[in-house]
Amino acid sequence: MSEAVLTLENVSRKYMLGKRSVQALSNVNLRVNKGEFVSIMGPSGSGKTTLLNVLGCLDKPTEGKVLLDDVDITQLPEKELYKIRRSKIGFVFQTFNLLPYLNARENVELPMECCGKPKGERSKRAKELLQLVNLSGREEHRPHRLSAGEQQRVAIARALANDPAIILADEPTGNLDSKNKQEIVKLLANLNLTQATTIIMVTHDSHVASHTERMLLLCDGKITKEKQGLHSLKKKQICPYCHDVIQPDDIVCPSCQKEL
Amino acid sequence: MTRAFRNISRRKIRALLVVIALGFSIAIMISIPAGATANQASTLSLTENLSNTITQTEATINQTLTQIDASLSSGFEGFGFRTSGIGNFTPGQFGGGNGGNGFTPGQFGGGRNMPGQFGGGAFGMGGTTAMNETLYADISNIENVASVVPILQVSEGANQTVEMFGRTFTRLIPDYVIVGVPLNSSIENYPVLPTNITSGRTLQSGENGVVLLSENNTLFFEAGVGDIIELLGETFEVVGVHGSSGVEDRTTLYMSLSDAQSITNNTGYVTSLKVFAKDSASVTDVANAISSLHPELSVVTAQQRLTQLQAMQTTYETALNNAEATLAQTQSVAFEEVGVAVAATSLIVLFLMLYTVRERTKEIGTLKAIGFSNANVMSQFMLEGVLLSLMAGVVGIAISSVAAPILSGLLLPAASQLGSGTFTGMMATSNSATTTSVSLTPELVLIALGAAVLLGALGSLYPAWRASRTRPAEAMKYE
Repeated sequence: MSEAVLTLENVSRKYMLGKRSVQALSNVNLRVNKGEFVSIMGPSGSGKTTLLNVLGCLDKPTEGKVLLDDVDITQLPEKELYKIRRSKIGFVFQTFNLLPYLNARENVELPMECCGKPKGERSKRAKELLQLVNLSGREEHRPHRLSAGEQQRVAIARALANDPAIILADEPTGNLDSKNKQEIVKLLANLNLTQATTIIMVTHDSHVASHTERMLLLCDGKITKEKQGLHSLKKKQICPYCHDVIQPDDIVCPSCQKEL
Repeated sequence: MTRAFRNISRRKIRALLVVIALGFSIAIMISIPAGATANQASTLSLTENLSNTITQTEATINQTLTQIDASLSSGFEGFGFRTSGIGNFTPGQFGGGNGGNGFTPGQFGGGRNMPGQFGGGAFGMGGTTAMNETLYADISNIENVASVVPILQVSEGANQTVEMFGRTFTRLIPDYVIVGVPLNSSIENYPVLPTNITSGRTLQSGENGVVLLSENNTLFFEAGVGDIIELLGETFEVVGVHGSSGVEDRTTLYMSLSDAQSITNNTGYVTSLKVFAKDSASVTDVANAISSLHPELSVVTAQQRLTQLQAMQTTYETALNNAEATLAQTQSVAFEEVGVAVAATSLIVLFLMLYTVRERTKEIGTLKAIGFSNANVMSQFMLEGVLLSLMAGVVGIAISSVAAPILSGLLLPAASQLGSGTFTGMMATSNSATTTSVSLTPELVLIALGAAVLLGALGSLYPAWRASRTRPAEAMKYE
């Protein structure tokens, strides 16, 4: 059995909306292994974002345990959590959340800056990461000069900056057109394949979700369904369409010529 | 740091407006203390001038206790002794005997203004009128008179029209005062010429075509010892310069009586007679004798002048006390205004930063999500606030270097009135107008920048703290 990077045990989260209490998560149990690409789907209000916030140490569950690299993050005080966020988690947001007054490289450098990495090293790593997300030559562009897809790629590079144990992506394709959507999902899938990055992605879009390895359906704060995605086949180096053998970095299936 | 700069420059117009507003606030902080200090300095210098003048005049008078001044006061309206004289003199032009209020009545006699012994009557003597020398020859025959020294004193300058008490007066602003003194043996025995010669020499008996200038005159004529100057169409050689020893001396130049009479078209006329008694005991008798012999003459003994002076000193002291009280009031107003400016500065920073924090909630959430600690976030916002107010500090210094006198003039009550009102009026002959000047010293600049940094930090403390406390999950929901 592969190593678990993230384990949720009976996690519940209650909100108070005025006098009404809302059960956003109830008794969620989840285990994510190292190198997995998991998608969480569900209708609005099903608790997707709450779950992601709990996973990302942005929010604390009212009950249950969250083990990240065997550390129960629910027991940590706020001033320890930012260290976890800084070193173990990379965030990708629906609205990209790049700082508009910084260029692409500087945005990618941000998480490294708060770790106290020297400037030269930061800049070198940022350039490498931007190259990884196919943004070479756009390092000095500010967000407003980049397309939505490009901005999200910068955000992904930023999420990778401190070599996190896990990447949490909250509807990363939600603000993108179909072409860019495709590209971002492929980029994430590719990162998962080539860099063995663990990715948990929340999405509305079943097509996007189908490109992941494991799809979880969240309903009323509970995980109600789980199924395998196409990515699991790709991981096993089998074409999801003709089931012939493929290579991990193949873009098109050599046998059936379908785009992977 | 770079981030703070970029953030500020993101909203250029807002930053500009805030910097200007803060700049004004800081300029007020700078200008008011500077203005208050300048006011204090000007009041102090006024006090000093006044007491120096009074002391010097007292000293001069003490030296000449046997001296009696006899002159025709312009108050003797219609006396008409010069109707046969030169020029367009008519009795009605004497101005109604307003001697004593510091204004010389209009044109009379040879077309020259002849103010009183104390320069424009600042000392309450009134204007003096030219008198025919020969009519008063009998004074020297009075018992116990040691000597009679005729003096011609003529002021030269421009007339200024002044409204006062509902009437219009013409007031002479003298550029210089010519005093003609008979250069004969009497000048060596009696203190008629100034004694403190600062360069060159004094006038000597028998001399003509030479002048003894005051230090003030040397500036006016731009001339010194050995130079030739032109006075009313005649040339004179400057032989010496005297330091002033009293109010009347500051703009007074001395020359021989005959020269003075000839260049001012007053041949045969003098403005006063300095009568010297044989000893101080006989001064009163001599004065009485002059008065009975020539009732039209205004006879003032040195003793009387001293008494007058002392009375005036009391008046001035009262006025000065008032001035000091006003100054104290000014300073408390200044203190309050600086307090308001300080509060305004920190409040502006506070509100701006609160607004900024609110506006950038999502950004704060992002920063926290990607691993910024509370301290990181807080220092970032503090830095922005401080940087902004530091910029404002620079703007404030720039504003106050241009507008400090205006600002302090607008905001501080009375100091400039102190300088230009009653006082300078009283001191017309002794001092030109005292202006309030506000200077920016390096210390003041440093204090201003320091204050800007401090207030910026103070104002952004709470907003930055608020930012650092933002819960990232909440912040992410914020659009």
